[in-house]
Amino acid sequence: MLKINDLVVAYEVAPVLHSVSLEVQAGKIVTLLGANGAGKSTTLKAISGLIKPLSGSIEFCGEVISNKRPDEIVKMGLAHVPEGRLVFPGLTVTENLKIGAYTRKASRSEVKSDMQKAFDLFPRLAERCNQLAGTMSGGEQQMLSIARAMMSNPKLLMLDEPSLGLAPVIIDSIMDKIREINEAGTTVLLIEQNAELALSISHYAYVLSVGEVVLSGDSESIAEDKAVLEAYLGGESEGRTD
Amino acid sequence: MVKLFKWLKKYALLIVMLLLLAAPSVTSQYEFYVVQRGVQNAIHVLGLLILIGYSGMLSLGSAALLATGAYTYGILLVKVGLNPWVGAALAVALTTFIGTGLALPAFRLAGPFLVVTTVGFGEIVRILILNMEPITGGAYGLAGFAKLLPSTRWVYYLMVAALFLIAIAVKRIGESRLGLALKSLREDEVAAEVMGVDVRRAKMVSFALSAMLAGLSGVFLANLTGYLSPDSFTAAESASYLLMVVMGGMQSVTGAIVSSIVITSLPEVLRFLSSSRLLVYSLVLLVYLRLNWVRTGKGSLAGLMKTLGFPLGTGRAKDRS
Repeated sequence: MLKINDLVVAYEVAPVLHSVSLEVQAGKIVTLLGANGAGKSTTLKAISGLIKPLSGSIEFCGEVISNKRPDEIVKMGLAHVPEGRLVFPGLTVTENLKIGAYTRKASRSEVKSDMQKAFDLFPRLAERCNQLAGTMSGGEQQMLSIARAMMSNPKLLMLDEPSLGLAPVIIDSIMDKIREINEAGTTVLLIEQNAELALSISHYAYVLSVGEVVLSGDSESIAEDKAVLEAYLGGESEGRTD
Repeated sequence: MVKLFKWLKKYALLIVMLLLLAAPSVTSQYEFYVVQRGVQNAIHVLGLLILIGYSGMLSLGSAALLATGAYTYGILLVKVGLNPWVGAALAVALTTFIGTGLALPAFRLAGPFLVVTTVGFGEIVRILILNMEPITGGAYGLAGFAKLLPSTRWVYYLMVAALFLIAIAVKRIGESRLGLALKSLREDEVAAEVMGVDVRRAKMVSFALSAMLAGLSGVFLANLTGYLSPDSFTAAESASYLLMVVMGGMQSVTGAIVSSIVITSLPEVLRFLSSSRLLVYSLVLLVYLRLNWVRTGKGSLAGLMKTLGFPLGTGRAKDRS
């Protein structure tokens, strides 16, 4: 579904990604692991068109998207849940969700039924539909951010560290939801620092280190390879202990 | 009581419009002029509501766009000899064009940097008007152009009708898909981009709409005064337009109209205080804003109602983040 070939990205002059190649197969959960500064978020930003790559190609559903604008890419069915959630704090939950459906030009009834789906997925949001997003807890904002991305009816959902700054209980429930979304037919590309957690729900994994893919394989086999993980991700201390 | 206020809130715009229609019959000539200026300012302020309130882009150069509209109208009539209606249409079109150009720096600048750019733009226009004497009349000003309609009263009715239509349009924009895009821009530009909002286009539309209304307001200003001088388009004027948007609640169309008229007439109402007038004027504004910020987190008419203890439904809570 998504194919990245020899991607090179730089901020101003400092290269961040040297040569990244990866592939996301339809229907799977693929995770991209790496320590701070490995270039995970940069990869996602390049995919969704927020940064223009220096060279290399990004293909989505057989079409090259590396020279397209972000709004065109969203229209093709690629949704991005940005790092730090980035909900619209001064707008209500409902308004946030409506913006999620912005590119679709869908009818009111379609938007309404999709919003119902989002509320079914996250019943918590239904309770708070008229609350300003900025007044909600971090976990609720993360739910909203995911629900908002799902409103664009994506083929591929990209999540940038959905576990960031959340309590372990909330993280578990968010991960369950991601699995649920995938089982309902949406392909997922997940970025995580928490390797153990991400490997537990994903099918395939890539490990990124200093702008390069250093390891890839089935999640299970990578999870067993503790020594390698420790070398690239700084060991289990970052993972959860429970 | 609650019912009454709900009713009042629902029909607020209509009530304000009816009051404005009745104004010429119950006011003296001087008072009528102040109301006219209030209505003319309200048209301009509704444009700023889109730009500042909805899209969150602060502009302190709006007086320059007002000047562009007014002077284009005046010059086309006096120097070129066009029909007033054609002149008005061209003036609005040119102002919209120039205002849209102002969106270009806004692609890369935000916050205080954008404000500085708009202040600069305002000064450039004012100084151009001052120095292009053969065309604009320079410091002597420009006079001798015809009105859109022969009588002042009819111009006023035209203005109120325009204000009513614009108010409904701006309200609808606020609830529409476009409005949502503009508000998302205000809240978080990166998130808006990720959601598929074409940020550049949204900014241009926002600037264009606000410039269009500034241009129209400028045409009416020329109609009201019959005389244009660069002194009426200073940065201080721009600041007072900003004040009108803020006092109106930044989101409310009716609030913006009422606050435009109130703030336009407040200095006149306080005229009996002579030398301490400006002091009292500032104090009134300060107390009003302070009261509302403390109680509701928003300096607005709705906030004032809440401060006074009127139940008005959902007041927005202060953002936690």
